[in-house]
Amino acid sequence: MRRIAGIVLAVLLIGGVVAAVVAGRHGEDKGTATKTVRGVIGSEKADFFADPDVVKALAARGYTVKAEASGSWAMEGLDLKGYDFAFPSSQAPADQLARKYHVQEPLPRPFYSPLVVVAHRAAADVLAANGLAVLDGKNRGTLRTGAYVDAARHDRTWQQLKGAKAHGELTGTLYIASTDPESSNSGALYLAAASYVANGGKVVAGEADLDRTAPLLHKLVSVQGAQQSSTDAVFRDFVSGAGNPLVLVYESQVAALLAQRHGVDDLVVLYPDTTVNSDHTVVPLNADGRALGELLSTDPALRGLAVRHGFRPQGDAAEFVAATAGRAAYLNQKLTGVRQAPVPTSAVLHEMARRARG
Amino acid sequence: MRRRSLLAVLAVAAGLLSACTSEDPKDDSNAPKPGTLRVLASSELSDMTAVFDRVREDTGITVRPTYMGTLDAVDLLARGKADGAYDALWLSSDDYLRLRPEAARKVVSETPVMSSPVAVGVRPATVRELGWKPEDVTWSQVDRAVQDGKLTYGMTDPARSNSGFATLVSVASALSGAQSALTDADVAKATPRLKEFFQGQKLTSGSSGWLATAYRRRGTVDALLNYESVLKGIPGLTVIRPRDGVVTADYPFSSLASTDARTREDVRKVTADLRTDAVQKLITDTTHRRPVVPSVRPAAGLDTGRRRELPFPGSRSVADGLLDSYENELRRPSRTVYVLDTSGSMEGGRLAALKKALTGLTGDFRDREEVTLMPFGSHVKSVRTHVVDPKDPGAGLAAIRRDTDALGADGGTAVYTSLEQAYDHLGTDRDTFTSIVLMTDGENTAGAEAGDFDGFYRALGRDRRDIPVFPILFGDSSRSELQHIADLTGGRLFDARQGSLDGAFEEIRGYQ
Repeated sequence: MRRIAGIVLAVLLIGGVVAAVVAGRHGEDKGTATKTVRGVIGSEKADFFADPDVVKALAARGYTVKAEASGSWAMEGLDLKGYDFAFPSSQAPADQLARKYHVQEPLPRPFYSPLVVVAHRAAADVLAANGLAVLDGKNRGTLRTGAYVDAARHDRTWQQLKGAKAHGELTGTLYIASTDPESSNSGALYLAAASYVANGGKVVAGEADLDRTAPLLHKLVSVQGAQQSSTDAVFRDFVSGAGNPLVLVYESQVAALLAQRHGVDDLVVLYPDTTVNSDHTVVPLNADGRALGELLSTDPALRGLAVRHGFRPQGDAAEFVAATAGRAAYLNQKLTGVRQAPVPTSAVLHEMARRARG
Repeated sequence: MRRRSLLAVLAVAAGLLSACTSEDPKDDSNAPKPGTLRVLASSELSDMTAVFDRVREDTGITVRPTYMGTLDAVDLLARGKADGAYDALWLSSDDYLRLRPEAARKVVSETPVMSSPVAVGVRPATVRELGWKPEDVTWSQVDRAVQDGKLTYGMTDPARSNSGFATLVSVASALSGAQSALTDADVAKATPRLKEFFQGQKLTSGSSGWLATAYRRRGTVDALLNYESVLKGIPGLTVIRPRDGVVTADYPFSSLASTDARTREDVRKVTADLRTDAVQKLITDTTHRRPVVPSVRPAAGLDTGRRRELPFPGSRSVADGLLDSYENELRRPSRTVYVLDTSGSMEGGRLAALKKALTGLTGDFRDREEVTLMPFGSHVKSVRTHVVDPKDPGAGLAAIRRDTDALGADGGTAVYTSLEQAYDHLGTDRDTFTSIVLMTDGENTAGAEAGDFDGFYRALGRDRRDIPVFPILFGDSSRSELQHIADLTGGRLFDARQGSLDGAFEEIRGYQ
């Protein structure tokens, strides 16, 4: 019964997740004839499309983009009639949409962003002292995913770790806080990465793999209690000093924060040695949508603006490296020592999330 | 279990009440208006007026809050009653909302705006006596002080106030020794210890505002458990964030699925404005909450040392189970005399409304609660006491319903004589939250006069003077007369003329 309710919920959620991000620009046309393209986008790209410089750059190429935010996984159930494109935050939902709307592959993937774990210095130091992380500087390091999964499997608490005693806030079960995997992309990708490790370095495919990994994944989720539904919210809580010591976010969120502000001195960005990229993928629903996808991928000005918002443009690592030179103390620019885990199919990932939550 | 099914009924009542307590009664707060966001909000946000003014200046958008308890608000959403009636949701936290899928799916996006952790505000003298170093205090130490009889405290009702609920979760998580999100087993294991801890709770309140007032008046309570922001607003408290963990409210401004794109754009604009440096600074400086942008420092006096965040329960069964055991098992029971005007003027619709309201309440009385019905006309007509026995709660409740049904209207209105009799009835020999509810539809016409009652009250012993009267304004009763009774006894006036009698009785539950 509970499971059925979960499915019904997932379907119903879809109706509720569309938000206007860039609306109300009627009557602002300044005489330049631009073509209006409508799309649904993952919420983490809302700031990008709302950025006046992005609006200007798009207008210069003849486009006005009206974007509404939606959970990436919710796009599947939306009626996309009248839309020109969908822009979910990873490949799995994009592929599913492409199949549904008979969109020709390859799909434009203008930019991507790896999942990272943010920590305050004290927590990062304790992880490092206990072999769970390797720090390569004051504000940057690598999370040893295998060791972390092992600790989670054994219900390791902070109190059991060397050096935690000095920090009163480091008590309770050691875990990474993520978003709800049933509604939010980053939460689902967290399970993708963890399941790959738990499955002995193989992508989870099929019932046997799901059964094998389910107990661990359920543990990773259930220790967290109520989970937030958006990556933005967990990151905000972290920034305000509330919340869990370890939080899973997109690198783009950190990079964008660093670009705006200085003196986030206490922040340590840990790159899991096995992680998953969030591949922001355009699903063109017609020629206009495809043209926009190509434009986002190729236009130097738009690529530059994507970097400003913390994304990594596809194909040319140098662009990101150059633009984030001032933030290299925090960012693993070349993703050295970071392995990409493949993401299970959409159906497997859904089932995985359902079992982890259940 | 009983009270849960009742929540639905209560939410309607609370909704009516809240909708009717907006400042201008002629102002139809339910009508949509361009440029105005009708926001369903936690009552804790009533300290944000200066911020709302600033947002209007910045964006041209007016935020019009309707205040409601979190559980009631979530219930309203879940039943679809917020659709079309509200443009946005702004609770202290969406943690509980997430446990109710049918409510959670009404929400499109959530943007945390500020934060405040649960904390303990203690009299400086008590801190010294206990030998505490504020930055090192743990929940275990707080618990020990309570067990040793060295610390008493007040907190808000978890069923009606987000601050109370967050406090309950903090205490239960910390004292159960749970290392991760609370489970049913953790709650069961911690029950004996929690029961002892809640023996130390000497004040309960439906709102943070009255809690602070009652605390000052009482003068004998050592501490308050509430959000840091509330405690920082009460002069003279040492505010302690326990080292072993807190639950933090993050005040997400949330847009609703039932709204149109234009409304959601207004929500987005307001949210963006709330997160600008200038507004974040205004928020922290005027409300003692913490900013969520790193470029703005928390207001002076907000200690920035880190604390563990206690996870919020991940399932409704744990959260509701905890609440249920708090109400029916952990907290001290309540003991209430209902002094009910059944004079001749109550005949007809008024008496019917009273019977309906009282009958409705029987769904909400807690286990172990003692309820005395004292109907009066020219004199007290009867004194009937019933106890909700945990072994057979139905029997006591049925008896209350029977007595309610038998009420008849006749005679004059002996308000003060009846009140005096209620005080006489209530000894202070028992360890309960003791209070009097006074419902009258007219002015005093028989028996003792106001001045007589003042003298009577002042001559009472200290313990009995701590029993507050919660008068309900109804029919033709006199606001000034009832306000005076509330002020004299440290109670609070409830207005059933603006809202409904059901709503007033229900709201008072938070104070019992």
